[in-house]
Amino acid sequence: MKSEPEGRLDPRARSLWQITGALQALPVLAGGAFGSYVLYTNDVASYLAALPALVALALAVLLVVVLPPLLWRRWRYEIRLLEVDLQRGLLRVTRTLVPMARVQHVDTRQGPLQRRFGLSTVVFYTAAGPNEIPQLASSTAAEVRDRIAELTREADEL
Amino acid sequence: MNSSAAVEVGERRLHPVGMLLSAMTTVRRWAGISAFPGIAALVNGEFGMRTLILVLLAFVVLTLLSAVWGVLSWRATTYRISGGAFHLKRGVLQKSERSLPLEHVQSVNTVQGIVQRVFGVIELRLEAAGGGGEPEISLSALSRPAARELREELTRARRTLDEVGEPLEEPSPTVLRRLSTGELLVAGLTSGQIGVAISVVAGGSQIVDNLLPGDLAERLSEALLPRTVFAVLLLALFVALFAWVLAIFGTVLAHAGFTLSRSADGRYLHIKRGLLNRYETTVPIARIQAVRLVEGILRQPFGLAALRVESAGFGTEEGVSTVLFPLLRRREAEDFLRAAAPLFAAPLSSLEPLPARARGRYAFRSSVPALLVAAPLAFFLFPWGLLALTLVPPAALYGLVRHRAAGYALSEDRVVLRTRRLARTTVVAPRERLQSRGYSVSPIQKRRKLATLELEVASGRGGAAFRLVDLAGGAARGLVDALSARSR
Repeated sequence: MKSEPEGRLDPRARSLWQITGALQALPVLAGGAFGSYVLYTNDVASYLAALPALVALALAVLLVVVLPPLLWRRWRYEIRLLEVDLQRGLLRVTRTLVPMARVQHVDTRQGPLQRRFGLSTVVFYTAAGPNEIPQLASSTAAEVRDRIAELTREADEL
Repeated sequence: MNSSAAVEVGERRLHPVGMLLSAMTTVRRWAGISAFPGIAALVNGEFGMRTLILVLLAFVVLTLLSAVWGVLSWRATTYRISGGAFHLKRGVLQKSERSLPLEHVQSVNTVQGIVQRVFGVIELRLEAAGGGGEPEISLSALSRPAARELREELTRARRTLDEVGEPLEEPSPTVLRRLSTGELLVAGLTSGQIGVAISVVAGGSQIVDNLLPGDLAERLSEALLPRTVFAVLLLALFVALFAWVLAIFGTVLAHAGFTLSRSADGRYLHIKRGLLNRYETTVPIARIQAVRLVEGILRQPFGLAALRVESAGFGTEEGVSTVLFPLLRRREAEDFLRAAAPLFAAPLSSLEPLPARARGRYAFRSSVPALLVAAPLAFFLFPWGLLALTLVPPAALYGLVRHRAAGYALSEDRVVLRTRRLARTTVVAPRERLQSRGYSVSPIQKRRKLATLELEVASGRGGAAFRLVDLAGGAARGLVDALSARSR
């Protein structure tokens, strides 16, 4: 087994994840600001009152600035003759190998935000459930999908 | 109305007992809905003749309506086999026709409830293959000849469809093993479902509490409530004993006469079991994905265990597993599997243990919940709260016990994993049944050169995952490599 699969996600994945991260950060920021406001109006010492807002800010920075590039750097995939090799995870790194002969069918799908970026997600199903390769350039995703489909058929015919 | 009564060529109806069964389901459903208001009305109202008559009247009307409904729905229900599919038409007001392609019929099972036994009819269930989300079809009442005929037809139709057809009416199957009465009792005694039974008992006492008028319940409990520690202990013992008896009873009901046999062509396992409700299940051996040997805490000291199989597209719930045999000696399991499902006959003992450096991690991980409970108690309820810390050593010990039980082995393309929750479970999964395999490494595991092995097999409509935490990183990679797909 190789030390790491070769393929990477599309670099634009980082920007997309930054946007989704920002969307997730909004309610967190709002909650933090509200918390600080309540504490401040209740005459709590100002350094304590600032705490919720600061924590929310730190979380937001984490979601928007820190995590997307880390996630992207970790995500790897490789379509080999007999199996699909996936690696992902932020702190806990997970490596998964799915034999071609077990793949039942393959889809590509695209959300509204992904369409803006020209990205797609490849989803392939085994009898135990779906596996995803997210955020590939749409053309790459189509190639990956067709290749998996082809290799699956070959594996079945063997 | 006429059109619904007309029966097309080849369409058949259920046995007339179907009317009764359908009526009974309706009555049961409505009785369930109206039980609480009804009882409340009886208890709260001044228990006069009027309420009683009203309730009786409601009951009679309900029964009559259900009977009419039963007849109508029996008339509306027909089935036929045509064009390579099984068709079921149903519905009195809302008509529906369900078609199940025969190649998707996973297995044909029969169940005989008490009513069905009284009238000598059989319920036939067609289980669909998983993945597509197809529902199962149940024919609630068929006479024995009709059931046999349908089974034969299903078999014949499927045989002509493809050569992988599944013969159901084969020359007599070989009985692999029968559960003796003694074994049945031992299985009940050691079933370890006491916990379940206790919760049933507790739930029951709560219902009694709710049903009795408040005043009465209070007076009763005042009279009955134990006043001394001794009495409390006695009561606890009593409840536990009662729960135990319930558990034994449950096992006897479910597993009496458990018989496992293998079809003559060696492709099917047949399970017959049940005291009041009789179940007959057919498990296609090719569909078995993994086998579990479960040693409950009450069974392990005696070297006893139960065998379960994980099979794909089988049963209605996700991740459903079927009892292959409810009680056998652990030593016999390998030979037993060799006879029943040879693909899974791996040596179940002498596994590779986890590395010693994982011991601390196991102890730590299982003491975390205890610490989380104990720390705030110790802090806020200072001197006495410290007592809560005594929870921590047993929790850590539990972690050590889990570490000791865990292990893995690879034998001729089969992985064997052993883990412990309370029961010790040994899983056998052959390479060709794995849907995916992999490992994950957390930062702490990375520093200690450990990893978590993760295997997935198909089960029911979804998948089942088997995990082994903290084996050596190199061993996890080695296993994943050794199980890699190769061209046949």
